[in-house]
Amino acid sequence: MKKLKIILYSAIFLSLIGCDSFVEVDSPASQLPGNIVYSDVNTVNAAMADVYAKLRDSGILNGQGLGLSYTLGLYADELTYYATTPNSEFNNTMLGTSPTSASIWTNSYRQVYGANAVLEGIGNSASLPSEVRNQFRGEALFVRAIIHFYLVNLYGNIPYVTTTDYTVNRMVSRMSVESVYENIISDLDEAAILLPEAYITDERVRPNKAAAHALLARVYLYHGNWQQAANEASIVIDNPEYSWDTNLDNIFLRESSTTIWQFKPKLEGLNTNEGSIFIFLTGPPPSVGLSPSFVQSFENGDNRRTHWIKEVTNGANIWYHTYKYKQRSNTGTSQEYSIVLRLAEQYLIRAEARAMQGEIPGAKDDLNRIRNRAGLADTQATTQVEIISALLEERKHELFTEFGHRFFDLKRTGHLDDVLSLTKPGWDHNDMLWPLPDGELLLNPNLQPQNPGY
Amino acid sequence: MKNLSLNKGRPSCLCIFIFVLLLSNQIIANELTFRSYTKQSQQQITGTVSDALGPLPSVTVMIKGTTISTVADEKGNFSITANSTDILVFSFIGYATKEILIGNKISFNIVLVEDSTQLKEVTINAGYYSVKEKERTGSIARITAKDIETQPVTNVLATMQGRMAGVEIIQDSGAPGGAFQIKIRGINSLRADGNEPLYIIDGVPFSSETIGSNQTYNGNPSLTSPLNSINPGDIESIEVLKDADATAIYGSRGANGVVLITTKKGRGEKTTFAVNTFTSYGTVTRMLDLMNTQQYLAMRREAFANDGYTEFPEYAYDVNGTWDQNRYTDWQKELIGGTSEIHNLQASVSGGGSATQYLLSGTYRTETTVMPGDFNYGKGSVHFSMNHRSEDQKFKLQFSSGYTSQKNKQPTVDLASISRTLAPNAPALYTSDGELNWENSTWTNPLGVLKGEFIAKINTLNANAVLSYNFLPELQFKTNLGFTDLSNNESKTEPSTMYDPAYGLTSHDSALYNSLTDRQSWIIEPQLNYRLTLGNSQFDALVGGTFQNQITSRMYQLGSDFSSNALIHDMTSAALTSVALSDETVYRYQAFFARINYNLNKRYIINVTGRRDGSSRFGPGRQFANFGAIGAAWIFSSASFLTNNKILSFGKLRASYGVTGNDQIGDYQFLDTYTSSGGNYQGVNGLQPSRLYNPAFGWESNKKFEIALETGFLNDRLYLTSSYYLNRSSDQLVGIPLPATTGFPSLTANLGATVQNSGLEVTLRTINFQGKDFSWITNINISANRNKLIAFPGLATSTYRNRYVIGQSINIRKVYNYLGMNTNTGIYEFADANGDGVVTASNDLTEIADLTPKYFGGFQNQITYKGLQLDFLFQFVKQKNFGYYPSSPGDFGNQLSNVTQHWQQPGDQAPYQPYTSGDNSDVVGAYFKYSNSDAAIIDASYIRLKNISLMYDLPLPTLNKLKCKLFIQGQNLLTFTSYNNGDPELAYAAYLPPLKLYTAGIQLTF
Repeated sequence: MKKLKIILYSAIFLSLIGCDSFVEVDSPASQLPGNIVYSDVNTVNAAMADVYAKLRDSGILNGQGLGLSYTLGLYADELTYYATTPNSEFNNTMLGTSPTSASIWTNSYRQVYGANAVLEGIGNSASLPSEVRNQFRGEALFVRAIIHFYLVNLYGNIPYVTTTDYTVNRMVSRMSVESVYENIISDLDEAAILLPEAYITDERVRPNKAAAHALLARVYLYHGNWQQAANEASIVIDNPEYSWDTNLDNIFLRESSTTIWQFKPKLEGLNTNEGSIFIFLTGPPPSVGLSPSFVQSFENGDNRRTHWIKEVTNGANIWYHTYKYKQRSNTGTSQEYSIVLRLAEQYLIRAEARAMQGEIPGAKDDLNRIRNRAGLADTQATTQVEIISALLEERKHELFTEFGHRFFDLKRTGHLDDVLSLTKPGWDHNDMLWPLPDGELLLNPNLQPQNPGY
Repeated sequence: MKNLSLNKGRPSCLCIFIFVLLLSNQIIANELTFRSYTKQSQQQITGTVSDALGPLPSVTVMIKGTTISTVADEKGNFSITANSTDILVFSFIGYATKEILIGNKISFNIVLVEDSTQLKEVTINAGYYSVKEKERTGSIARITAKDIETQPVTNVLATMQGRMAGVEIIQDSGAPGGAFQIKIRGINSLRADGNEPLYIIDGVPFSSETIGSNQTYNGNPSLTSPLNSINPGDIESIEVLKDADATAIYGSRGANGVVLITTKKGRGEKTTFAVNTFTSYGTVTRMLDLMNTQQYLAMRREAFANDGYTEFPEYAYDVNGTWDQNRYTDWQKELIGGTSEIHNLQASVSGGGSATQYLLSGTYRTETTVMPGDFNYGKGSVHFSMNHRSEDQKFKLQFSSGYTSQKNKQPTVDLASISRTLAPNAPALYTSDGELNWENSTWTNPLGVLKGEFIAKINTLNANAVLSYNFLPELQFKTNLGFTDLSNNESKTEPSTMYDPAYGLTSHDSALYNSLTDRQSWIIEPQLNYRLTLGNSQFDALVGGTFQNQITSRMYQLGSDFSSNALIHDMTSAALTSVALSDETVYRYQAFFARINYNLNKRYIINVTGRRDGSSRFGPGRQFANFGAIGAAWIFSSASFLTNNKILSFGKLRASYGVTGNDQIGDYQFLDTYTSSGGNYQGVNGLQPSRLYNPAFGWESNKKFEIALETGFLNDRLYLTSSYYLNRSSDQLVGIPLPATTGFPSLTANLGATVQNSGLEVTLRTINFQGKDFSWITNINISANRNKLIAFPGLATSTYRNRYVIGQSINIRKVYNYLGMNTNTGIYEFADANGDGVVTASNDLTEIADLTPKYFGGFQNQITYKGLQLDFLFQFVKQKNFGYYPSSPGDFGNQLSNVTQHWQQPGDQAPYQPYTSGDNSDVVGAYFKYSNSDAAIIDASYIRLKNISLMYDLPLPTLNKLKCKLFIQGQNLLTFTSYNNGDPELAYAAYLPPLKLYTAGIQLTF
């Protein structure tokens, strides 16, 4: 009897453990399977929106302290660092352990992954209409190209990542700068075909065909393909969507007619990160200010000196800040968006490309268009050399603190050492390339060797 | 309660469960009606237990060979139903156990004899079962309320520090609410966050996974730990299970050891009130010896001269005359030199009748910080426990619950780091009219950040009920039901007033970050216990099952743009708000476990445990795995040739071997999904890929072996335990670090790597003197753990190649080989291992620095003289650590005072390089290499008077129930170390070190 009971109890008991399905859980409410994301245009759009949000909020094109407007402004001669903690960008003493370099590198490839995920997702999806597929493919290619474009100019030889497959990506090797450019151009060429002529939404916050051409113009210029650079710039300049505005105070407004591509802020009411990081009200500046030598380099009568730069005084002392974006705080409706591509640069690109090909009058026309808007007389330069030198100076005063134009211009024209060694005591020839993050070299030896000097 | 329901998708489970419950009820009812087995000679046995001084309460009375037991009440009375052939066993801590055959008597007066060497008679908690210290086959370390009450600490891990062999505990930060790290027998997993033990409070697993988020990060080195919600004052004992024999019954969660926390229970019948209150004052243990203004400015001037400056740059405010050159502030004193005040009050009432006892206790504690400003930590907790048993002793109910509410208001930044780097001539903190001084924007006032607040409100409920019923004297059915609910509401404010007014920020720029975490879990563990005694053999069997469900929901929000800073704590008042994350994760866990214990003649013991586990953290087909262990003990002192041996009073040899596992990998890692990222573009919330997809990962397994010798000499006055263990973890379940080019930092997968931890643990207890008025007991524990990477197929081509070396510890750092200073240039030089002409991190980190402590332990003494009791514990650690290298000397930041010994001219041989303001990249680069070289690894061993406590039991008339104890205590009072780069205990140099506490208090019982 007793034995029987023990057996009975035990049997009942053991029956409890048969339920293996207890540990199978449903997928969580906050996550969506990948194949479902790419079966619907709204969720594909959300995946692409995340890529733009990441571009805006982190990495290269972020207007905050780790983005290129700020770091390359300090690294070159645009900005002076006034805060008391050491800053290795300003001192030109970046190391392989630099958090700035790690942040740019890591965020950029994360964004590239996002773009590649969209490319692969829509490629595998049969249910999306072809025009939708084309548009997203064009956008993702554009994004992939612009990130690699900045990276190759910062780091030199870099991997051009075109897949989400980690078994490939964990061992990628660095490609020559030449091959990276080939990839960028190929991606942008395809994007220029796929992207629609018109902006797909009512503001210029998603790249269209013109954005691809504008970026191509810059890429060709950096690469020395003068003819193509001029052609691409002309496509944008001749596009009636973009009209020249001579009022300097309109250029950086959200509805500016010269804007080609800009970032929509995260929330309505927010303005640009650049405004909040560069503007200060009393001196000395708590963080950074425009370098006095940079401000003094403006010609007399240059209206950009007064409209795009603001002086802050304290007794006899004067400091300066960038005043392109004038809102440093929230407003009821957003007034300014962070602009990545704008028309003035296209004129400067065409001017340089023309000058390089010996088209002096055409080059002067384009240059003077920029000068005249700033209230300056036509350029005095006449020879090719003079015009190219005048253009470098003009770009300095037109494009300052916009995602590192100054640094990249000095670099591609071979003037980094002769210009920066005058004003930057820590400048060294090897500083023309940033160090790859040491941690990346440790994780993937195919990225070796480290750039010289680090 | 909606989460309590068994999942609706699994009706079969539910049905079976209900069926079992119904059936059980039916059987219980039958039993009660027929009383089939009680009809023979069962009778009520009563009596009293006393010692030399009078009645002895709380003595356990047990029928030998069964699980039936009772506890004597406050007057020493007991009552139990038993057969005439039963043997009653009377046991109580500190007294020799007594066994009595019932025979024809129905009433007994038992006198127990005090024997403080009888600690081996103590019954210790092994989780699903309990064992006598003497007869255990596994490795279990233990502390009790007696050890805890001497320490004025707030974290349960702090109470264990230095007191347990093989258990290494490090305090992360001295800030209130700061976390502790625990490593039981070394680190098993390559995954930094995969080395947490399993915590069980009164039978209910308590997740130690951090709560809170990075966005409400408060400057502590780690996120908020839920362990702070356990009130040390409510703990009766803490057992740490270490070897396979003890941990295998916890299967997949036992790999890193198990910490069992048992809370206090009601005892005795008489209503007893107790009040315990104390106040502590705490200051930082160790400050750094930094430069004064003269030394600092001399360094800066030389630095600029070295860099070729003829006049100081505009932004060099410290030397260019902008700041007062004669001003001096000891910033460590100013910013972290305050006194933290701690008040703790605990009151309890306990009592009951012979069938039911209860305990209700409440605790309130407040702490302030050593930093300036109005910051504090408050914790209130209520603990309730009730035991009931039916008249026939067959049914037992034990219920305990604890509710803890914590509110922690802290600065958003730890000021320790800035206090060490601020220039000593930096301006005054306040202007003459009491406002924060920003000195015309020439500095960032360190008190600015204190305008921001980190506030965490954490409420925790733990409830547990154990119901048991003895169907037969040998067979007990028991169900453990547990529920935990933890909610954390954490917010961080960043008001515009934190910043320099030069930015012109207003409340429209102020920001509020909010993180809500709610974690609920329930557990049901039905168990059957069976005990059979046949002659000299005793056979114990246990089978049981576990169903656990844990739901964690999180919601992270941020808001900005407030109409007034006064509204900054209110999310609705923010004009701009967004949700950064919201999710709900479910973790389900199921197991079947069993134990068979065979005890022959109290001399040979074999213990076999096993568990089959399933976890929802693994993909389909990979959810289940088996774990188990075998342990054996031979009490050789019971052998005939050793009985009555005058020297050797006890001897036991035990060994165990088994497999445990680890599933600390996070939920849903096997799914290929997209998650809302919180990034909004054009009003569309972004969707991002959740992770790199790998469905094919499974359990990590950990094989443990241990052999130990326990010996007692001279009537156990000298009691020595030595154990050797060898643990190997394989199928390492890790987030394999990946280069950023993959888009993600890591990939969840199993690695073929094997990590071995081996070590020696020795504990020694000696009773140096034992007399009527005076006694002196010493406890020593020492542990040495060796960690070794045994195998790692493909290491050379994996992303770990520069982190690990086969044959070395996994706690190594690969560093540069420092060769010395070039006396011509004053620049540090390092070995160029691959001879490519440059020293780079990718090729030349060739030296190996092992940061695992060589050995550690504690030396504890308890001296009693009449009513006076002195306890003190020295904790010691032999280890190496990195020195303090904040930034290259000469730049805008203070340095250690010995940095004045620097290179100045060719031929100089000095510890530090020439100064640079930051422009000399050769010097700066070499400095950072030096800080990551073998030269930077220095001895960080220490001996610390961790705890000292003096208690005085006031001699009050014995007739009076009133007992009064006065005590003074100290924590971290003395430290002996050669490490002069901060506190040697602190793993993270840039944070607030542990505090030195002085405490006084009073304990009343009436």
